[in-house]
Amino acid sequence: MRTSTRTFLSATVLIGTLVPAACGDDTAAPAEGDGQTVTVYTGRHYGIEGVFDEFTAATGIKVRFTTGKDPELRERLVAEGANTPADLLMTADAANVELAAAAGVLAPVESDTLDAIPAELRSPDGTWFALSRRARVIVSSTERVDSPPTTYAAVGDPAWKGKLCLRPSTHPYTQSLVASIIAAEGEPAAEAMVSSWVDNDPLYIDSDTDIYKAIVAGECDVAIANTYYLGRLQTEDPAFPVAITWPEQNGRGAHVNVSTAGITTNAPNPAGALRLLEWLATDGQKTFSDANFEYPADPAVQPTEVVAAWGPFKGDTAVIVRLGEFQPAAVALLSRVGYE
Amino acid sequence: MIAWRPGRGPGWALLVVVSVVMAAPVAVIVWSIADPSTEVWRELWQTRLPGMLVDTVTLVTLVVTGAVVVGTALAWLVSAHEFRGRRLLSWLLMTPIAIPGYVLGFVWLDTLQSPLGARAVRSIWLCAAVLIVSLYPYVYVFAWSAFREQSPRTVDVARTLGRSSFTAWWRVVVPMARPSIAAGAALVAMEVLTDVGTVRLFNVSTVADGVLRVWFGTGDRDAAAELAVVLVVAAMSLILVERALRGRARYTQSGVRGGSVARPVTGLRTVVVNVAGWGVLFIAVAVPVVRLARWALRAQQLGQTQSISGDLGFHVVSSLKVAGLATIACLVIGTTMVFIARERGRWGAALGRLASLGYAVPGPVVAIGVVVALAAVDRRGWWPGEVLLVGSLAGLVYAMVVRFLAVAHQGIGASVGKVSPSAVASARTLGAGRLRVATRVELPLARAGIIAAATLVAIDSLKELPVTLLLRPFGVEPLPVWVWQATSESLWVQASVPSLMIVAIGMPLVAALLWSVERGAEVVS
Repeated sequence: MRTSTRTFLSATVLIGTLVPAACGDDTAAPAEGDGQTVTVYTGRHYGIEGVFDEFTAATGIKVRFTTGKDPELRERLVAEGANTPADLLMTADAANVELAAAAGVLAPVESDTLDAIPAELRSPDGTWFALSRRARVIVSSTERVDSPPTTYAAVGDPAWKGKLCLRPSTHPYTQSLVASIIAAEGEPAAEAMVSSWVDNDPLYIDSDTDIYKAIVAGECDVAIANTYYLGRLQTEDPAFPVAITWPEQNGRGAHVNVSTAGITTNAPNPAGALRLLEWLATDGQKTFSDANFEYPADPAVQPTEVVAAWGPFKGDTAVIVRLGEFQPAAVALLSRVGYE
Repeated sequence: MIAWRPGRGPGWALLVVVSVVMAAPVAVIVWSIADPSTEVWRELWQTRLPGMLVDTVTLVTLVVTGAVVVGTALAWLVSAHEFRGRRLLSWLLMTPIAIPGYVLGFVWLDTLQSPLGARAVRSIWLCAAVLIVSLYPYVYVFAWSAFREQSPRTVDVARTLGRSSFTAWWRVVVPMARPSIAAGAALVAMEVLTDVGTVRLFNVSTVADGVLRVWFGTGDRDAAAELAVVLVVAAMSLILVERALRGRARYTQSGVRGGSVARPVTGLRTVVVNVAGWGVLFIAVAVPVVRLARWALRAQQLGQTQSISGDLGFHVVSSLKVAGLATIACLVIGTTMVFIARERGRWGAALGRLASLGYAVPGPVVAIGVVVALAAVDRRGWWPGEVLLVGSLAGLVYAMVVRFLAVAHQGIGASVGKVSPSAVASARTLGAGRLRVATRVELPLARAGIIAAATLVAIDSLKELPVTLLLRPFGVEPLPVWVWQATSESLWVQASVPSLMIVAIGMPLVAALLWSVERGAEVVS
């Protein structure tokens, strides 16, 4: 029995080494009340810490944040209710923030400073504000494609059969694109359009970066993808052989989605949250947008050089506040037509 | 089997309370089925559900079969043969378990993308291959430890009766290890059923993936919950199958144990044994680790060796804290449950399964179930002061236990079940009470399996992503969160540093696991 006791002790010590600071800070210190810290739930995390650092340097207000997926953060806010530590919710997608607003976890805000954000880039009731824009455009190989499609419908042209790359329907980017098409053209037309894409036997790749790489590798000639990924790739390689075509330029414009923020209904520090939101909508615009090669929500603020080089375009911004409304229909439609 | 007699004291009450607390997060999600959202459900039946079911069944079948074959064969290889480097190989063959499936997935996806093409690489076959390679250790470790616990005399007897070495193993040793292999296979099946990271990389549309698709796409939690019930039912059926495979038989070891059962191999066989063993390692460990290391070097050059939340040390401490606490909690609760439940026959077993529900549901579903359940407690203010469970370390550890208690429970149950009833009976005859028998006889005899279970929980918690992502407190950022932040943007270079770190922390755990199993065998002799 002596030996086995020793084995047990060894095992205990072993497991014990796993818990060096087990009894440390069990619960995070509540930030409410001191007014010096703003707590953020953010679905956007790329380069976010630099943005918050700049805010802290400018205002002295600290930012405490947790990252996560938009829908999960929304569920968490709903569940926490009055007990939430979150002051501000930031999402990477308009539909998701709209669903959060519909769930009642975002509070309306009135602020003249926030008027810097164009009216169509914020919720009419003031529950959320777009901070940056990105377009979901048609991209094509500069080596193999001379006349790329100029509309989303043209992507379904049989000429692109076997040459098309798309992002799977699980991704919010696909869902909001289809939601915008439903909003603009009605459900039957949208269904016919998405069906024609599916008929082209697309290669589904769940990463815009990999979609760009697939074009370079010759796996597909044409794809629908977000602009900012190209910004990253062109920064690494200015001669990256993929070109952007702004779709729907004779109509409603290219599909635009936004990164957003809204103050939570039960924010312990609503004043601090408003300071942060206002800063993001003004002084922080450039840092926030440049961090991810996006277009600032405020049209007066210039995008970063790589992005500016793509030239001006017409964006379908009118539909942005309604993307959430059409999202469930889009998901059902994608499922119906057999979009992967 | 002892029939349930109600009202059997505090043990019974404790068992019921623990099981209910562990099942609560799944229950709150499943609860919504009381009000079925027929619209979405019907649409699913007409569109995607049949395909999802086919993909799920295919994937589970492929991966479980593959993992059982590979895991058992490798365990046999290193248990039945004596050759140069056997010990090292038997240790290394466990190491793929330290590499998270989502890491192995993106590494192989990116590695095979250029030679095979982006289209060919996204297939259920490659998805199955990656999952087999990352999950076979679950079978391997159980089979290996079961083989080790067996008496060489059994094999000797079979050989004396004129059987060849392979036949002796196949007909005698493997059937006796069947409960362990089945336990490993059940874990593999659960991991596949609830996987939502790897399948999406390879465009495989399983039911678990569908749950998230419906939930996050439409915000319709009810419809998603109904789909999740399909998974719970599937998992329950799997457990029943496992029970059936295990059968009513109880294999116990009598007679002398210990001594090496391995026989030296020579000539061509040496080549075969080495190629098989090292070949699996090449695919499962060498290629991904080298790839990650090269990315990590690049990350070093680019100065991307820290996340948006902090440096490597900060993330490592977070990971150790969470995995350590989760392991201890699972071990204590799992052991207690096994001992209480075994006295209570069928009902005890049923409660054990109830408490293990969290393992049968995809991580994100458990995560949101825990948030909903804990938030309900927080709202009632049952705790003194300002302490909130959602977003606390306690809340995260609870969620981990909900998710992984099954691993501990299963492992501990299987090893305690193998303790010879005669040993227990002898101790009882000598006047030892139930607690004394448990602590002085059964636990020591079952310790190899218990330590194995603890290590598995530690490794699982170390790799866990969805629960960690939603429930981590401020200031606690385990490594998988960093991996996710990078991979969700397809930034493999940035993902490499935390991925390698997870593997590095997992390695001593793997060593500890094998050390304890070997040690256990020596001690008995």
